[in-house]
Amino acid sequence: MNSQPVSVQTEGLTRRFGKFTAVDRVSITVNQGEIFGFLGANGAGKTTMIRMLCGLLKPSEGKGSVAGFDVYRQSEEIKKHIGYMSQKFSLYDDLTITENIEFYGGIYGLSREAIRHRREQLLEQTGLQDASRKMTRDLPLGFKQRLALGCALLHDPPVIFLDEPTSGVDPEARRSFWDLIYQTADNGKTVFVTTHFMDEAEYCHRVSIMRAGQLIALDTPGNLKKQYQQRSMQEVFVALVEAG
Amino acid sequence: MTPILYMIRKEFLQVFRTREMMAILFVAPLVQVLVMGFAITNEVKHITLIIADQDNSVLSREITDAFTHTDRFNVVGYERDMARVGEAIHAWQAQMALVIPPGFGRDIRRGSRPQLQVIVDGLDGNSAGVALGYAGAILQERARQVGRQMPAALSLRNLHRVELQERMWYNLNLNNAQYMVPGIVVVLLTVISLILASIGLVREKEIGTLEQLLVTPLKKYQLLLGKLIPFLILSFIELGIVLKAAQWIFAIEMQGSYLLLAGLSAIYLFSTLGLGIFVSTITGSQQQAMFVSWFFMLLMIMLSGLFIPIENMPPLLQKVTYLNPMRYFMSIIRDIFQKGAAARHLLQDVIPLAGFGLLIFIFSVLKFQKRAA
Ligand SMILES: Nc1ncnc2c1ncn2[C@@H]1O[C@H](COP(=O)(O)OP(=O)(O)O)[C@@H](O)[C@H]1O
Ligand SMILES: [Mg+2]
Repeated sequence: MNSQPVSVQTEGLTRRFGKFTAVDRVSITVNQGEIFGFLGANGAGKTTMIRMLCGLLKPSEGKGSVAGFDVYRQSEEIKKHIGYMSQKFSLYDDLTITENIEFYGGIYGLSREAIRHRREQLLEQTGLQDASRKMTRDLPLGFKQRLALGCALLHDPPVIFLDEPTSGVDPEARRSFWDLIYQTADNGKTVFVTTHFMDEAEYCHRVSIMRAGQLIALDTPGNLKKQYQQRSMQEVFVALVEAG
Repeated sequence: MTPILYMIRKEFLQVFRTREMMAILFVAPLVQVLVMGFAITNEVKHITLIIADQDNSVLSREITDAFTHTDRFNVVGYERDMARVGEAIHAWQAQMALVIPPGFGRDIRRGSRPQLQVIVDGLDGNSAGVALGYAGAILQERARQVGRQMPAALSLRNLHRVELQERMWYNLNLNNAQYMVPGIVVVLLTVISLILASIGLVREKEIGTLEQLLVTPLKKYQLLLGKLIPFLILSFIELGIVLKAAQWIFAIEMQGSYLLLAGLSAIYLFSTLGLGIFVSTITGSQQQAMFVSWFFMLLMIMLSGLFIPIENMPPLLQKVTYLNPMRYFMSIIRDIFQKGAAARHLLQDVIPLAGFGLLIFIFSVLKFQKRAA
């Protein structure tokens, strides 16, 4: 595992699509074991930011490193050390739960033994032991999302990126997903999570707020509420976005 | 197991689980080979014919009779005026006209070389070819009989004159299927491999799993091989089934080596699977991929010589066909089927086929990026 306390670091990271700037000179530092929230309205640039950090998209400008690897030159190295859950559900609907787990374990190069071990662990964690032969498409969305998180963690990466992992599910399912996030962080992993649910922002160790590609706030939820004299992150967000 | 094997296993699981996929793979091609096979090879009968007998000799009447007494032709009129003959063809009243010029019978008995004109509406190139073939056969038969009544030296010359047509109706008179069906097999192989590859990749793009694969340490070659090897295997199974079915249904003879055919098919599949990857990189949805794939396929089929003989194309278009991998494979499969050609005789087609395959494949693999620029 990575011994560096800093997990994700960017300096003036920028991404343009033609003339349009989707992410505009964003600088952040995320520490190992931190739950780092990334907030912003639709189109603020959250996904673009994550895709640059995961090695899916080349940055236009600025610096960035993830798990100690450079986002320009070492994107394939980064991929070995991160987990990623995209904002689209990304397991195979037409494979069973077991087949999905084995597939992702396999392409991450885990041994058969390791795959079997992780599979049992994951099924237990998600409470899906009895459903392991079920088609993934037949699962309720909340279970699917927990399964997807499990698959993204199969290879035990030090950093995990979650792009709106809880969109579309009921509050109950969201709570149990956040339980998993806490477990993950307690295991020393860095969790980088985007959301547009402001109540979820309260659960993060630190949050950053993006607007039109720019970072407009970055602090702990407590400090942000104090600074803007609001009672909830919801109100902080409204105050900030309306100010702009 | 290596990551590639996990990819392959997953692909097969998905294919065999999806009923539509099974239908596309195994039912549709059989139906297509049947329908296309019968539609294309069905004997052309009752070709509407106008006869312009300007000679009115014994011989010309004999020829006219021969055309009347066959169900291949349906004589719809007799006309002496050439302008009217032209009009009738333009107005689609007749597909073919037989013009026997004045003095034809006299000239042939003198041993000179009279001209006889056959005008065919070439709009439906295939039927036109078949019609010409029939006409040639009838005329040749006539010429033989005339020849028997003539001194040997003269008859030989006359015979020769008619037999110039022989190339035209080579293989058209008896078993057109022998010529067409291997071509249809090529078309189906192209359709299946191109669609499988492009749809297979774009589908994952559309549902978002491709992004998930791209964010794993899976190398690009592993990802592409993991996707393409199953498609290659499926294309081969497909080829086997369609070939066997076509042979059985249409009683086609295979003169050459199956092993050679399989090897060269593999080379051909580099082009189509490569093109499939390329299509997947320029499209974002299965629908778009389908559309673009069909565009490429139509272009390839049109320029392959299957429906329109390459010699009949305008010179510029003929040159364009040299860029079409299907053109080479079409010619290869026919040579193997009909002539039992050995590898060394096919080199002039195999070399460009392999060259284009490699070129298309390398270009597409380079275009496919794990990280968007
Ligand atoms: N590949 C792309 N090409 C052009 N524009 C894009 C592309 N990806 C994202 N954008 C634009 O960048 C902006 C930010 O998008 P995104 O990062 O997805 O926002 P968020 O995830 O915060 O909703 C949006 O306006 C979006 O239209
Ligand atoms: Mg987004």
